[in-house]
Amino acid sequence: MSIKEVITVVNSMQADGVIEPYAIGGAVGATFYLEPVATLNVDIFAVIESVPGSLIANPKRIYDYLTARGGTMEREYIVIAGWPVQFLPPGTPLVEEALKEAVVRDVDGTPARVFTAEHLAAIALQTGRAKDKARLLQFVEAGVLDAARFQAILARHGLVAAWQKFERQFLGDEL
Amino acid sequence: MSFDLQKILESKRALRRDLAARPVAEKLRLLDALRERELAIRGRIVHPAAGVLREVPRSYGEKKK
Repeated sequence: MSIKEVITVVNSMQADGVIEPYAIGGAVGATFYLEPVATLNVDIFAVIESVPGSLIANPKRIYDYLTARGGTMEREYIVIAGWPVQFLPPGTPLVEEALKEAVVRDVDGTPARVFTAEHLAAIALQTGRAKDKARLLQFVEAGVLDAARFQAILARHGLVAAWQKFERQFLGDEL
Repeated sequence: MSFDLQKILESKRALRRDLAARPVAEKLRLLDALRERELAIRGRIVHPAAGVLREVPRSYGEKKK
Protein backbone atom coordinates (compact mmCIF):
# COMPACT_ATOMS: atom_id res chain seq x y z
CA MET A 1 0.00 0.00 0.00
CA SER A 2 1.83 3.12 -1.18
CA ILE A 3 0.81 6.55 -2.44
CA LYS A 4 4.11 6.78 -4.30
CA GLU A 5 3.05 3.77 -6.39
CA VAL A 6 -0.26 5.52 -7.11
CA ILE A 7 1.66 8.57 -8.35
CA THR A 8 3.87 6.38 -10.56
CA VAL A 9 0.78 4.77 -12.15
CA VAL A 10 -0.92 8.14 -12.70
CA ASN A 11 2.27 9.49 -14.29
CA SER A 12 2.19 6.51 -16.69
CA MET A 13 -1.43 7.31 -17.54
CA GLN A 14 -0.42 10.85 -18.41
CA ALA A 15 2.61 9.68 -20.43
CA ASP A 16 0.40 7.20 -22.34
CA GLY A 17 -2.13 9.94 -23.13
CA VAL A 18 -4.95 8.40 -21.08
CA ILE A 19 -5.37 11.62 -19.10
CA GLU A 20 -4.36 15.22 -19.57
CA PRO A 21 -1.95 16.70 -17.00
CA TYR A 22 -3.41 15.82 -13.62
CA ALA A 23 -3.11 17.30 -10.14
CA ILE A 24 -3.37 15.72 -6.72
CA GLY A 25 -5.89 17.44 -4.45
CA GLY A 26 -7.67 16.69 -1.19
CA ALA A 27 -5.91 15.56 1.95
CA VAL A 28 -3.03 13.96 0.03
CA GLY A 29 -2.44 17.22 -1.86
CA ALA A 30 -2.53 19.16 1.40
CA THR A 31 0.08 16.82 2.88
CA PHE A 32 2.62 18.25 0.41
CA TYR A 33 2.41 21.49 2.45
CA LEU A 34 1.11 20.51 5.90
CA GLU A 35 1.51 17.76 8.47
CA PRO A 36 0.02 14.44 7.31
CA VAL A 37 -3.68 13.98 8.09
CA ALA A 38 -5.23 10.52 7.90
CA THR A 39 -7.29 9.94 4.77
CA LEU A 40 -8.79 6.87 3.15
CA ASN A 41 -8.57 7.84 -0.53
CA VAL A 42 -6.61 9.80 -3.11
CA ASP A 43 -8.25 12.54 -5.21
CA ILE A 44 -6.80 12.99 -8.68
CA PHE A 45 -8.14 15.90 -10.71
CA ALA A 46 -7.83 15.67 -14.48
CA VAL A 47 -9.67 16.70 -17.60
CA ILE A 48 -11.51 13.55 -18.62
CA GLU A 49 -12.56 13.16 -22.23
CA SER A 50 -16.27 13.43 -22.93
CA VAL A 51 -18.55 10.75 -24.26
CA PRO A 52 -18.49 11.41 -28.04
CA GLY A 53 -21.23 13.88 -28.91
CA SER A 54 -21.97 14.91 -25.32
CA LEU A 55 -20.56 16.83 -22.37
CA ILE A 56 -20.67 13.84 -20.04
CA ALA A 57 -17.22 12.76 -18.81
CA ASN A 58 -16.23 9.32 -20.02
CA PRO A 59 -14.05 7.55 -17.48
CA LYS A 60 -14.10 4.26 -19.40
CA ARG A 61 -10.64 4.79 -20.86
CA ILE A 62 -9.21 5.37 -17.39
CA TYR A 63 -10.88 2.28 -15.95
CA ASP A 64 -9.89 0.11 -18.92
CA TYR A 65 -6.27 1.25 -18.59
CA LEU A 66 -6.13 0.64 -14.86
CA THR A 67 -8.04 -2.63 -14.71
CA ALA A 68 -5.68 -3.99 -17.38
CA ARG A 69 -2.87 -3.22 -14.90
CA GLY A 70 -4.44 -4.86 -11.86
CA GLY A 71 -6.68 -2.04 -10.65
CA THR A 72 -10.03 -3.04 -9.21
CA MET A 73 -13.30 -1.14 -8.92
CA GLU A 74 -14.69 -0.34 -5.48
CA ARG A 75 -17.84 1.81 -5.60
CA GLU A 76 -16.82 5.14 -7.18
CA TYR A 77 -13.13 4.43 -6.66
CA ILE A 78 -10.53 2.41 -8.48
CA VAL A 79 -8.05 0.73 -6.18
CA ILE A 80 -4.39 1.23 -7.17
CA ALA A 81 -1.57 -0.08 -4.98
CA GLY A 82 -4.06 -0.62 -2.16
CA TRP A 83 -5.39 2.96 -2.26
CA PRO A 84 -8.90 3.85 -3.46
CA VAL A 85 -8.34 6.55 -6.08
CA GLN A 86 -11.04 8.85 -7.40
CA PHE A 87 -10.60 10.65 -10.73
CA LEU A 88 -12.45 13.94 -10.69
CA PRO A 89 -13.05 16.35 -13.56
CA PRO A 90 -12.62 20.03 -12.64
CA GLY A 91 -16.15 21.04 -11.71
CA THR A 92 -15.67 24.77 -11.13
CA PRO A 93 -13.61 27.57 -12.73
CA LEU A 94 -11.52 27.60 -9.54
CA VAL A 95 -10.58 23.93 -9.88
CA GLU A 96 -9.93 24.43 -13.62
CA GLU A 97 -7.48 27.20 -12.75
CA ALA A 98 -5.94 25.09 -9.98
CA LEU A 99 -5.37 22.27 -12.46
CA LYS A 100 -3.70 24.60 -14.98
CA GLU A 101 -1.43 26.19 -12.35
CA ALA A 102 -0.53 22.99 -10.47
CA VAL A 103 3.14 22.51 -9.63
CA VAL A 104 5.46 19.53 -9.94
CA ARG A 105 7.02 18.28 -6.70
CA ASP A 106 9.63 15.58 -6.29
CA VAL A 107 8.71 12.48 -4.27
CA ASP A 108 11.94 10.51 -3.85
CA GLY A 109 12.77 10.88 -7.55
CA THR A 110 9.18 10.56 -8.80
CA PRO A 111 7.53 13.73 -10.12
CA ALA A 112 4.10 14.46 -8.69
CA ARG A 113 1.79 17.20 -9.95
CA VAL A 114 -0.10 18.85 -7.09
CA PHE A 115 -2.33 21.90 -6.58
CA THR A 116 -0.59 24.93 -5.10
CA ALA A 117 -1.17 25.60 -1.40
CA GLU A 118 -3.15 28.75 -2.27
CA HIS A 119 -5.48 26.86 -4.60
CA LEU A 120 -5.96 24.03 -2.08
CA ALA A 121 -6.88 26.61 0.56
CA ALA A 122 -9.28 28.43 -1.80
CA ILE A 123 -10.92 25.14 -2.82
CA ALA A 124 -11.34 24.27 0.88
CA LEU A 125 -13.01 27.65 1.44
CA GLN A 126 -15.30 27.15 -1.54
CA THR A 127 -16.24 23.58 -0.59
CA GLY A 128 -16.92 24.70 2.96
CA ARG A 129 -17.53 21.43 4.84
CA ALA A 130 -16.32 21.21 8.45
CA LYS A 131 -13.23 19.24 7.42
CA ASP A 132 -12.46 21.78 4.70
CA LYS A 133 -12.62 24.63 7.22
CA ALA A 134 -10.28 22.68 9.51
CA ARG A 135 -7.87 22.22 6.60
CA LEU A 136 -8.04 25.91 5.73
CA LEU A 137 -7.16 26.74 9.34
CA GLN A 138 -4.18 24.40 9.09
CA PHE A 139 -2.96 26.26 6.01
CA VAL A 140 -3.29 29.60 7.79
CA GLU A 141 -1.64 28.40 11.00
CA ALA A 142 1.22 26.75 9.12
CA GLY A 143 2.02 30.05 7.39
CA VAL A 144 2.49 28.42 3.98
CA LEU A 145 0.14 30.67 2.00
CA ASP A 146 1.40 33.53 -0.15
CA ALA A 147 -1.09 36.18 1.01
CA ALA A 148 -1.09 38.24 -2.22
CA ARG A 149 -1.52 35.16 -4.40
CA PHE A 150 -4.27 33.78 -2.15
CA GLN A 151 -6.17 37.08 -2.10
CA ALA A 152 -5.96 37.32 -5.90
CA ILE A 153 -7.46 33.84 -6.25
CA LEU A 154 -10.27 34.74 -3.83
CA ALA A 155 -11.02 37.91 -5.80
CA ARG A 156 -11.03 36.12 -9.17
CA HIS A 157 -13.47 33.48 -7.96
CA GLY A 158 -15.88 35.54 -5.89
CA LEU A 159 -14.71 34.18 -2.55
CA VAL A 160 -13.78 37.42 -0.75
CA ALA A 161 -17.02 37.56 1.27
CA ALA A 162 -16.68 33.88 2.23
CA TRP A 163 -13.10 34.54 3.37
CA GLN A 164 -14.16 37.57 5.44
CA LYS A 165 -16.81 35.42 7.13
CA PHE A 166 -14.24 32.69 7.77
CA GLU A 167 -11.86 35.28 9.26
CA ARG A 168 -14.57 36.57 11.58
CA GLN A 169 -15.51 33.04 12.67
CA PHE A 170 -12.11 31.52 13.16
CA LEU A 171 -9.36 34.13 13.06
CA GLY A 172 -10.98 37.03 14.88
CA ASP A 173 -8.26 37.54 17.50
CA GLU A 174 -5.31 36.78 15.28
CA LEU A 175 -5.77 39.48 12.64
CA MET B 1 5.03 14.57 31.94
CA SER B 2 3.46 17.96 32.51
CA PHE B 3 -0.13 19.02 33.14
CA ASP B 4 0.66 22.63 32.17
CA LEU B 5 -1.80 23.27 29.35
CA GLN B 6 0.36 25.97 27.76
CA LYS B 7 3.31 23.60 27.62
CA ILE B 8 1.15 20.82 26.19
CA LEU B 9 -0.26 23.09 23.47
CA GLU B 10 3.20 24.43 22.57
CA SER B 11 4.52 20.88 22.43
CA LYS B 12 1.69 19.88 20.08
CA ARG B 13 2.37 22.90 17.85
CA ALA B 14 6.05 21.99 17.73
CA LEU B 15 5.24 18.41 16.75
CA ARG B 16 2.92 19.61 13.97
CA ARG B 17 5.62 22.00 12.70
CA ASP B 18 8.15 19.17 12.76
CA LEU B 19 5.81 16.83 10.85
CA ALA B 20 4.97 19.50 8.27
CA ALA B 21 8.65 20.23 7.66
CA ARG B 22 9.57 16.62 6.89
CA PRO B 23 10.32 15.59 3.28
CA VAL B 24 7.20 14.95 1.18
CA ALA B 25 8.13 11.31 0.54
CA GLU B 26 8.33 10.70 4.29
CA LYS B 27 4.98 12.42 4.88
CA LEU B 28 3.34 10.28 2.19
CA ARG B 29 4.75 7.15 3.86
CA LEU B 30 3.15 8.39 7.08
CA LEU B 31 -0.17 8.66 5.22
CA ASP B 32 0.24 5.03 4.10
CA ALA B 33 0.79 4.00 7.72
CA LEU B 34 -2.08 6.14 9.04
CA ARG B 35 -4.47 4.57 6.54
CA GLU B 36 -3.44 1.02 7.44
CA ARG B 37 -3.94 1.84 11.12
CA GLU B 38 -7.33 3.42 10.51
CA LEU B 39 -8.51 0.42 8.49
CA ALA B 40 -7.33 -1.93 11.23
CA ILE B 41 -9.24 0.06 13.85
CA ARG B 42 -12.38 0.18 11.73
CA GLY B 43 -12.20 -3.59 11.24
CA ARG B 44 -12.29 -4.11 15.00
CA ILE B 45 -15.17 -1.78 15.76
CA VAL B 46 -18.46 -3.57 16.20
CA HIS B 47 -21.07 -1.62 14.32
CA PRO B 48 -23.20 0.22 16.91
CA ALA B 49 -26.39 -1.07 15.31
CA ALA B 50 -25.44 -4.70 15.88
CA GLY B 51 -27.07 -6.19 18.96
CA VAL B 52 -28.70 -2.93 19.99
CA LEU B 53 -32.41 -2.88 20.62
CA ARG B 54 -33.93 -0.09 18.59
CA GLU B 55 -37.43 1.18 18.55
CA VAL B 56 -38.57 2.27 15.14
CA PRO B 57 -40.93 5.23 15.45
CA ARG B 58 -44.34 4.76 13.91
CA SER B 59 -45.28 6.66 10.80
CA TYR B 60 -47.55 9.63 11.21
CA GLY B 61 -51.14 8.49 11.54
CA GLU B 62 -50.24 4.83 12.12
CA LYS B 63 -52.20 3.31 15.01
CA LYS B 64 -50.48 1.67 17.96
CA LYS B 65 -50.75 -2.12 17.90
